[in-house]
Amino acid sequence: MGGDKIKKDRRQKREDYRRAIRQDGVSELPRKKFYRQRAHANPFSDHQLIYPPHPDQMDWSSLFPDYVVHEEPQQPQQQPNPSAAAPSSPGTDLAPFQPKRLSKDVEIADIGCGFGGLLVALAPTLPDTLMLGLEIRVSVTQFVEDRIQALRTQARRAAETPSDSSPPPAPGMYRNVGVLRANAMKFLPNFFRKGQLSKIFICFPDPHFKARKHKQRIVSATLNSEYAYVLRPGGIVYTITDVPDLHEWMVRHFEAHPSFERVSEEEQESDPSVAIMRTETEEGKKVERNKGQKHVALFRRLEDPEW
Amino acid sequence: MVAFPYHLLKVCGGIVFAAQGSDIHSFNSRLEHVSTWKYPQQHAAESTGPAEEAQDSPAPEGPPAKRRKVEDGKDDAASNGQAKGKKAAQYDNPANERPFLQGLYATTDGRYLVAITGCDKTIWVFEHDGAGHLKELSRRAMPKRPCALTLTRDNRTILSADKFGDVYALPLIPTTTPDTSSPAPTTPAIPLSRSETPIILRPEANELTVHTKRNLRALENQKISLERKAAREAEQQEQNRPKFEHTLLLGHVSMLTAICVGVAPSSSNPSTMREYIITSDRDEHIRVSRGVPQTHVIEGFCLGHEDFVSRLCIAPGGKEELLIAGGGDDDLLVWDWRSGRLLARAPVLEHVKRVKGMEEVNKVAVTRVFATPKWWITGNGTVRTVVFVVVERVPALLLYELWHDNTLSHRCNIPLPGNPLDLDLLVDEDLVQGSTSCRLLVALDPTQKGSSATTESEDPGCTTSLMVMANTGDEWKPAPVENLPTSSSADIGEAELHKLLYTTEGLRKLTDFE
Ligand SMILES: C[S@@+](CC[C@H](N)C(=O)[O-])C[C@H]1O[C@@H](n2cnc3c(N)ncnc32)[C@H](O)[C@@H]1O
Repeated sequence: MGGDKIKKDRRQKREDYRRAIRQDGVSELPRKKFYRQRAHANPFSDHQLIYPPHPDQMDWSSLFPDYVVHEEPQQPQQQPNPSAAAPSSPGTDLAPFQPKRLSKDVEIADIGCGFGGLLVALAPTLPDTLMLGLEIRVSVTQFVEDRIQALRTQARRAAETPSDSSPPPAPGMYRNVGVLRANAMKFLPNFFRKGQLSKIFICFPDPHFKARKHKQRIVSATLNSEYAYVLRPGGIVYTITDVPDLHEWMVRHFEAHPSFERVSEEEQESDPSVAIMRTETEEGKKVERNKGQKHVALFRRLEDPEW
Repeated sequence: MVAFPYHLLKVCGGIVFAAQGSDIHSFNSRLEHVSTWKYPQQHAAESTGPAEEAQDSPAPEGPPAKRRKVEDGKDDAASNGQAKGKKAAQYDNPANERPFLQGLYATTDGRYLVAITGCDKTIWVFEHDGAGHLKELSRRAMPKRPCALTLTRDNRTILSADKFGDVYALPLIPTTTPDTSSPAPTTPAIPLSRSETPIILRPEANELTVHTKRNLRALENQKISLERKAAREAEQQEQNRPKFEHTLLLGHVSMLTAICVGVAPSSSNPSTMREYIITSDRDEHIRVSRGVPQTHVIEGFCLGHEDFVSRLCIAPGGKEELLIAGGGDDDLLVWDWRSGRLLARAPVLEHVKRVKGMEEVNKVAVTRVFATPKWWITGNGTVRTVVFVVVERVPALLLYELWHDNTLSHRCNIPLPGNPLDLDLLVDEDLVQGSTSCRLLVALDPTQKGSSATTESEDPGCTTSLMVMANTGDEWKPAPVENLPTSSSADIGEAELHKLLYTTEGLRKLTDFE
């Protein structure tokens, strides 16, 4: 318990910093050093995660405020109450909470998004598509949140005060990107309905070298079934890593999974998201600096066979 | 010290099987003892050795509890969510080592009995001669501790759901003669089972990311030790890999708690039926996957539970699209498992509070949801679907009725002189048709001071561990079964026994971590 004091001081400093940055017009981009955290979080432990029991109960309005549909408050009969009488008693209420609806659904997920480089670069290229980063580490998530906030403010200011030097960014920029703290290995179906996603990015996932930690890998025979569940047929899983064996592992597990096929190299290289994935992720940049190799593989979600 | 109570029941035709500690006793329909199968002691000794315990830890931080070292150096993997953090470290969980029957299942024709023992992660298959005698056919030690199992509808395949979230298929009767036409022993349905994982020898940093000489040397050392470690692990994995046919079908990243099979008409050809595998986990999920051979396809989820799910029950014939699920929530939830739609809720906690002595209870852990089959005829001659619910450490059965509109309503509580542990229906062989009443068999833990204190005075052991209940309408009269054989397992401390019997509440997550 001796380290507690030090931890607290550091935490205090971080919190002060983050509070300040949020008050101060939010246009200053956050600095990473105030958001660092232990490199690994155990995906099996409980943490203190917040997630909706069902995707219909997910409140997206704070992440994507510009897409909120303003409608008359009414009772959508999502899950009709069979005993039409008194739905007010807590035990029988079948549709407990109806969050604000968005005009569109999240379609892209960046699993283990880290500091958010991919999302921030991807957002302007697909300005009408909602994208979400999922990150298990608290302060890293906070960093991305603050980063998005700052970028939105900058974009808004730039749009308000046009200058001659640089073309103003389109208004509404970064309105389509959000981040959530979540354990993506456990709770994807809590956030996304069947077939909701068109793209899933898995960029530079933690390698978990030891054989007995392989179940912690974010790609596995059994977990790929969950990716297939949230992806629509035709949707793509994007993977990139600098660890050759992990690349091989991911290729083998996706190729072996009957719901996926590998995307041809030609198609892969013509996909603009691939270039962004190579150059814009923080890990990608690090590998670049170290002149390391980057291995890319894409997989297409196939239609389910008849049953 | 107390004796083991009967804690698992399975009625096969006219024969009752009842597990007590590590024994399985059988009784005829008059509840006269027929025979006893005992867990082989030698097997017990060899399988609980520390070496083996430490070795079979391929995923040291598996759900839900972190493995942690206990004083004697053995990993403590069995304690679950409740035992967490510093406090948990001082539990040297002896429950871990005592052979204890954790699950008892039977094929629908009653010809085979299947059992799980947790300490050695073993699935046992017995042949039943129809008269109460068991012949041990196989015992298979699984890669991870099985939590629950079920059988496919053809009774030929065991579906075992384990602590690490995986479901394996095993043939009920292993094919002993090597048959070239049958699949290779570890052929996974989803290709690449975990046991086939290659070992990666590269350390995380590579030569390009370290610059100083010292770093480079450290890296070299790291590499060498990683390689050694990996090689050792590969060897261990090889040793641990079961030698029998077992197929990885699907997996959650969470401890599985229950598994059942549902059937529904095929979407492409409605005249054929398809099986679905329904699995629940500690993280509130109920997943519906297609049956073999398309178990990699997740059809849907039944999402809405806000605490662990511990029990799944498909409604009986005619209502097989209904799934009643219970766990750590205050209510039971009734699902249409094919669409994932929530149909109804039925309060549990509210009714538990009405059980004598339970007024202050503020949470429940459902351990049994038992729906009577469609031929169940109640005392007053009407056909109804009655659902009995057992809640951990609550000395009563909660009785519900499933209505035609799919709602589930509470009818009454049946107080008992101890905590019920399991139940099954007793059907008199000659009375299946037109029987005026079925009797209910209940196993209970009499060491609990239930509503009747008289039972404690005489034999502190098992005189009331088995009860037969007959009904007229909603009225149930329990009668103890006399002359039960005593357990061959040595007596056990009450605390230790409770750790073995009452494991469900431990699935609940702690909410305050700091
Ligand atoms: C090596 S980093 C890569 C970050 C980013 N994708 C990039 O390329 O720069 C891997 C990230 O995945 C996160 N992560 C690991 N397991 C996760 C899980 N189960 N759910 C969500 N995020 C996870 C880690 O916290 C870490 O930030």
